[in-house]
Amino acid sequence: MSNRVKLNAPAPDFELEDMNGNPVRLSSFAGEKNIFLVFNRGFK
Amino acid sequence: MAQLRQDYEQFQQKDAEILVVGPENAEKFQAYWQKENLPYPGLPDPNHAVLKLYGQQVKIFKFGRMPAQTIIDKKGLVRYVHYGHDMKDIPKNEEMLQLLDTLNGDNGE
Repeated sequence: MSNRVKLNAPAPDFELEDMNGNPVRLSSFAGEKNIFLVFNRGFK
Repeated sequence: MAQLRQDYEQFQQKDAEILVVGPENAEKFQAYWQKENLPYPGLPDPNHAVLKLYGQQVKIFKFGRMPAQTIIDKKGLVRYVHYGHDMKDIPKNEEMLQLLDTLNGDNGE
């Protein structure tokens, strides 16, 4: 069962560390940036 | 992702940040980012927390995970979502940039 996001609904907020260990929280961009969030297939 | 690297500046001009999430760990991300010289942030998600939150179908693991993209506007709303059926099923940057123009217009810029 997948949990798909809905259009025009609030995007689920999350916080991850970037690859250098700095925390990145989605909601921190609100009011400033549009976000193009890409889920990658996997890379070598 | 090379395509994204090429067009990153255009995304930035439209007040967009690109965030790439994947199940690989930080080390793999670093190695790939260095190799491909990618300018945008990469967010390792080895616990699959965000992947699951955004509905990347876990059961497709055995065939290889499918790509997915979403655009979230400045109000934090999802304005575009695309789940790919295969590796090539990804939206064109041009479409994304046009959509960003629309969003920026909607938000009164």
